[in-house]
Amino acid sequence: MTSPPLLTTAPPKPARRRTELGLIVLVVILTGGLYALAGFGKAGNLPANIGPFLGALFALLLIAHVAMRFLAADADPILLPVAGLLNGIGYVFIARLSPHEARLQAFWTFLGVAVFIATLVLVKKGRYLERFRYTFAFLGIGLLLLPLVPGIGENINGARLWIHVGTFNFQPGELAKLALAIFFASILVERADLLSRGTRRVGRFLILDPRYLAPIVGAWALSLVIFLAENDLGSSFLFFALFIGLLWVATGRAYYLALGGGLFVVGAVLALKVIGHAQSRVQSWLDPWAHAQTTGYQIIQGIFSISGGGLWGVGPGQSSASHIPEASTDLIFAVIAGEIGLVGATALLIAYLLLVGTGLRVAVRCDNPFEKLLATGLALVIGVQTFVIIGGVTRLIPLTGITLPFVSYGGSSLIANYLLLALLVRISHDVETPVPPMAPELVTV
Amino acid sequence: MSDPVLALLKYVFLALLYLFFLRVLRAVWVETREPPPAQFLSPIPLPVSEPAGGGVPIMDSSAGPERLVVVSPEAMKGHEFPVGHEMTVGRAGGCAIFLPADTFVSQLHARLFRRDGDIFVEDLGSTNGTFLNGKKVSAPVSVRKGDRIQFGRTTLEVRR
Repeated sequence: MTSPPLLTTAPPKPARRRTELGLIVLVVILTGGLYALAGFGKAGNLPANIGPFLGALFALLLIAHVAMRFLAADADPILLPVAGLLNGIGYVFIARLSPHEARLQAFWTFLGVAVFIATLVLVKKGRYLERFRYTFAFLGIGLLLLPLVPGIGENINGARLWIHVGTFNFQPGELAKLALAIFFASILVERADLLSRGTRRVGRFLILDPRYLAPIVGAWALSLVIFLAENDLGSSFLFFALFIGLLWVATGRAYYLALGGGLFVVGAVLALKVIGHAQSRVQSWLDPWAHAQTTGYQIIQGIFSISGGGLWGVGPGQSSASHIPEASTDLIFAVIAGEIGLVGATALLIAYLLLVGTGLRVAVRCDNPFEKLLATGLALVIGVQTFVIIGGVTRLIPLTGITLPFVSYGGSSLIANYLLLALLVRISHDVETPVPPMAPELVTV
Repeated sequence: MSDPVLALLKYVFLALLYLFFLRVLRAVWVETREPPPAQFLSPIPLPVSEPAGGGVPIMDSSAGPERLVVVSPEAMKGHEFPVGHEMTVGRAGGCAIFLPADTFVSQLHARLFRRDGDIFVEDLGSTNGTFLNGKKVSAPVSVRKGDRIQFGRTTLEVRR
């Protein structure tokens, strides 16, 4: 009997890359239109550099797209365009707030796309990352500790999470999040079975053997301490939510969510008692108007901007947003909501929902448990981060300094987000590529 | 540029933004309607001896109305495999019912085949055995709708 080719590689999916290219063209049109509109709104004329801007934007996305055709041809088609759209919209609003920061952001975007491609080149398979779990653990903790080193560490706005090298400020915590997400995913996959059922008998009950939990809790406690030492409450929450979320997904046990919630409340109460920074954050959340000129000033300006925008916004470039403190980083969502209104801000939320949803969709399709958990973790990082900062700006939760992924001004954040995107793209490509077959003579009966 | 024109352009921009999302959603919609990845591994047609009488035509992709649906583990739940004429089960890439994540499944664990309109399951010397409704399968046995077959830690239910 002539047997057909047993298992060729997966059928290529040119449709996916074609969809992606179409979406990229739309992104360039949208971002270019918004840039022009913001120029007219602010200065009454077309921005002088609209030509180079459109060219550079299209070139960058095209390079990333072509790289994906070679390096991750079967990857999901909406990850790159949606991230590009967010990056583009963010750049337009940064440019409208501060031309100086916009130049830097353009530089970081170039670097971000380079990191995106480099990651795709270096990480051939998502599952290979599992082998370097302890490297990533040490890398993550090292990066977190770096700002505490005297000489290069720097305090900005009461939080010590910057390092200062030459003229560049860098926030190593952004990259640490990814390293630790990889570490958590790999270690939780290995121990999922041990963590999902009790093995030690106490009276009538089987409980979890604390031995298996200890290293994970240790890593969590250590990084929490580091975050608290650096006064970075937003990242601290992000980190904790990531850890609990992954624990829940890995074991399928909902009691970890309850346990996590309980631990979080305890941690939050302790943090409030200990850290003055946190107290003022909570006060300005509950009643910003009591401190309208001091701690509540920023959040009140943000709220004025959002409410001024109404349903449709005052128009790109037309609000007086530049007096908002940290308008281009922490409060950029308030500026965007003010200028393109609830409708535009909702569009931004849809974009994040699509990114997170795609990440989870990739995770659902994964066969490899490590990749599944890592994709979940990466989606969680984007989702939680977006929730923390938008929730903070809209006064749902206390405002903490954390960046809006791909949109906020900030080099470290942008690079970390492109790195995250590349990992998701890599896993999404892996999912569509079948495991290589065994030798044919072993397969047939 | 006058304010009404700018306002109009703003609405145009927002409309385009939502059109972009519609386009993205359409791409996602097309994707989610695709079969899950495990299925694009086509069943390997195996040499089959003609059944007595030769009444049953041998077709390579003779997926009948029966399906095998994963009921456990939770992670694979809902995965479906149409029952073909002759299918292998195992962890080797190339098995029609490909269970790479279950380390209790042997590389080539079992096979399912049709004879005279019935579906049979046969263990192929797997390490951990094949179980039909909890009973170890030692010779080819026929399976019916509602039966549960366990390979390693993976349990599949026969549905129509």
